[in-house]
Amino acid sequence: MKKYIAQRALRSLITVCLVFVAVFMLLRFMPLEGYFSDEMIKEADEATRMTYLRNLGLLDHPLKQLWRFVKNLFQGDLGRSLTVYPKVPISTLLAEKIPVTAAFGFVSMLLGIVFGLSLGLVMVRTKDRLGDHLGNGFILVIRAVPSILYLFVIQVYVSAAFDLPMLFYEDRPGSWILPTISLSLGSVAWYALWLRRFMVDELNQDYVKFAQVKGLSKSAVNRRHIFRNAIIPLVIYLPSDLLLIISGSLVIETLYSIPGTGGLLTTAIKNQDNNLVQVLVLMYAVASVVGVFLGDLLVAFVDPRIKLTQKEE
Amino acid sequence: MKRLLALLLAAVMVLGLMAGCGQTPSGGETKPAESTPSNLEGKTDEEILDASQDILNGRELATTYQTYFSTSYASLNYFSTSYATVREIVSNCVDGLVEPDKYGIYAASLADSWDHNEDYTVWTFHIREGLKWIDHTGAETEYALTAQDFVDGIRYIGDPLNGAYSMRVVRNLISGLYDYYWGLDDIDCEIDTETNREDLVARFDEIVGVKALDEYTVEYRLDSSAPYFLSLIESSMLLLPIEYEYALALGDDFGVDNEHMLYCGAYYISEFNRDKNITLTKNPHYWDAEKVYLETVEYQMIADGTTSVEMFKRGELDYTSVESEEYLTLADSEWGSYLIPNEFSLSTNYLWLDFVGGNGEFRTFVQNENFRKALQTAVNRIVWAQLREPVDPARIVRNTINAEGAIFNSQGVDYTDLEPLAAIRNTDYSADPNAARAFMEAAIAELCDENGKIIGVEAGTVDYLPVISTEIDGALPVTLIYVGTDDESEIIMAQLFETMVEAAIGADYIDVVCAFDTSGSFYSTVGGSNDGPFNYDIYFDSLSTGYADPSGILTRIGTEEVENVGAYIVPEYDALIEKALNAETFDERLQYFAEAEAFLLEGAYMIPVMSSLRGYHMTYEVPYTAPYMLYGNVRYKGMQVLTEPLTLEEYQIQAAAWEIARAAALAAQE
Repeated sequence: MKKYIAQRALRSLITVCLVFVAVFMLLRFMPLEGYFSDEMIKEADEATRMTYLRNLGLLDHPLKQLWRFVKNLFQGDLGRSLTVYPKVPISTLLAEKIPVTAAFGFVSMLLGIVFGLSLGLVMVRTKDRLGDHLGNGFILVIRAVPSILYLFVIQVYVSAAFDLPMLFYEDRPGSWILPTISLSLGSVAWYALWLRRFMVDELNQDYVKFAQVKGLSKSAVNRRHIFRNAIIPLVIYLPSDLLLIISGSLVIETLYSIPGTGGLLTTAIKNQDNNLVQVLVLMYAVASVVGVFLGDLLVAFVDPRIKLTQKEE
Repeated sequence: MKRLLALLLAAVMVLGLMAGCGQTPSGGETKPAESTPSNLEGKTDEEILDASQDILNGRELATTYQTYFSTSYASLNYFSTSYATVREIVSNCVDGLVEPDKYGIYAASLADSWDHNEDYTVWTFHIREGLKWIDHTGAETEYALTAQDFVDGIRYIGDPLNGAYSMRVVRNLISGLYDYYWGLDDIDCEIDTETNREDLVARFDEIVGVKALDEYTVEYRLDSSAPYFLSLIESSMLLLPIEYEYALALGDDFGVDNEHMLYCGAYYISEFNRDKNITLTKNPHYWDAEKVYLETVEYQMIADGTTSVEMFKRGELDYTSVESEEYLTLADSEWGSYLIPNEFSLSTNYLWLDFVGGNGEFRTFVQNENFRKALQTAVNRIVWAQLREPVDPARIVRNTINAEGAIFNSQGVDYTDLEPLAAIRNTDYSADPNAARAFMEAAIAELCDENGKIIGVEAGTVDYLPVISTEIDGALPVTLIYVGTDDESEIIMAQLFETMVEAAIGADYIDVVCAFDTSGSFYSTVGGSNDGPFNYDIYFDSLSTGYADPSGILTRIGTEEVENVGAYIVPEYDALIEKALNAETFDERLQYFAEAEAFLLEGAYMIPVMSSLRGYHMTYEVPYTAPYMLYGNVRYKGMQVLTEPLTLEEYQIQAAAWEIARAAALAAQE
């Protein structure tokens, strides 16, 4: 096991480094115009624009820039944003944004798991009956209707009906409710859909028939046998989901004015904010790699049949 | 979705209007209409002033103003920001030397008096004594506000390492600043390896024409006559003061948030969450505190216009803008009587023609004045403007580059009323429905053979990638590629342009192809500077009159200038600009500028169509109580806010009363 962990850690480190260097170099191939705001393109002459780029260090050799970034990184300095939040330290930005996004992400993930799995169980228990049909209807709406539409309806009409704020305010607990619910709807539908599907698949397995023949009640079979097997394919994604809650949701954060990380990477790429892109890519790459790694460990933990290392002959 | 539906509805309405009314717009009047509201008809000035007072009598005033911003506040460094919203916040927190009063007449601010020499090249300001900078808690710091802070403002922006934004006008105006700035830049990029940077920095006072004559007197020496200098102070962040010792100590951290800057305006920023909310609190040490009625101004970030309207209805905001599309849905509701049209914009939208593009057909034709005039007359401005202003589109039509009502000569004559510009301002380009086709036929006679083949143009591919690639055959109809952003309202505007032009000129002569840039970086992909890219034949753009002189725009669009995106060559225009810049009097200067602008417009090198004004608003604010900032940003000093929203009728009475009072104030100033 230790050997497996060491090998995976090394491979993960190499993956992260490759991703980081690739993104770093790709950013240097982007056109120089991308660093300028529209106003700068329109108003500044060529010399002024070159001065601007030089002051940002963008005219230095890419390897020099890479070395500068890595050196600062090891000194705990993530650098400053170039174009999105000019001169603002990236560590300050992340410290402002990640906690709020993570808080919403974590709570909505819990809601997603609890309500999603509960809904999935209800749907299986009421298969082809009203509960199942209602659940399917909910899943269909969430997955098929453009999210902006139902999120907008929730923000405007549900907030009016229950006298809840339309925006998020940190010091008003009531304002957390709608964005959290909105954020969890997707995962509720996802967990319900897949749990139902995996459990329905398991229903036809021989061991289920055997358990029923043994005289176990239907609910005991569902809970102790079918659910435990059906949950395994879902468990593998949990660590990744948990770590990537820091990436936020662009639509919901925009709608409710949540000052989080949603859309930050997209905005940074669009504005060619190299430093910010590099830090975010590094952060997400580490979260993804660690998430996958932890997922593998977790699945081995919940399913004793899965071994991470080959059995020695 | 609602907005899209409204836009589509508007487009259908406009197309219907075109079909129903033929080529002539209703009224045929392109000059913005100035009509008297029905509730004021027949009333004397005294009655209007009384009615205005009656509206306010007994009404409670709020001490908090709740408003919003739509994009995050990147930084508060007022010298280096390009964000208009940052300028708005900062202009309430850092005062300049002078400021307009509520009638737009320049009054004392941090300078309690000022004077200038005869030719307006030396301006001297006497600073108020005993003022101190305050911090983000509202506490006075040890830093006194002196004339040196204004000198240091120029010192700060004069160093390229500080990344001051939009330097061109100030850099070219203040004596020696241009040389100082580029001298440092040459050292930084090792073109000049002999001069020591510290030596040059130490010589700032000797090189640059801004000096603290004593602790409370600052003098600006300018390279050219600038009677408009006060308006530049109003509009430009670059002439604001800075506490240099403090800023130097902070380095790159200066202005990154509210705790890393100092304040000397009516408000300080007591709370700052760049993506969420900002609170301005009244400066308790402000020199003019008795004229600051709002104790706090609370901003919150609302990215979506529908949300702000909804929050206004619920009483959670004191102001909301209402896009023209939303106007259609609100007009018949209970909120219809609260919809107030936005009044004025210094920004002009125009069509930018590419003279060096890769489309041989268009490139050949655009060199021809008749073709350009065909385009100029093919666009029905009122019909087009209706997409933005469904009620009174004529009021936003504009034929000139510089805005009307923005620049005046020494006799008080509006710059756009100077001939030959006045004739253009008042022209109705759509008056003759056959003009566009007649111009086109004249162009075709000069540029095509008898078979409709465009002389000198071969069939081939037009490569405007990543926007569009298309084939041309080198024959009529001329292919014109109109490029816009993928914003839904711009798409509809483009489609309407296509319909209008093909209808007026004839689809047998011209084929308008609309293409839309989806990159999100329009200027990087399509155009925006005179060194390309030139991935368009025509696009829709805007320019804004920045201060009380036409040079702000006109010197930027000459033959070799940075904003001559179409790359036209106009030596006659350049010569007139040169004459204007060297004119002996301001009136003469304006006259030459008017002639230069008229030359560009008569030749249809660029085609202004309307002001950038759009939309409506709903508000609790009593209009015209704050300083009247024609060139600068909204001020909260002096602003009075009611505890219930203002109706359009009340607004119109207040506006009429203000006009009367303003006329009296201007007369008194004379």
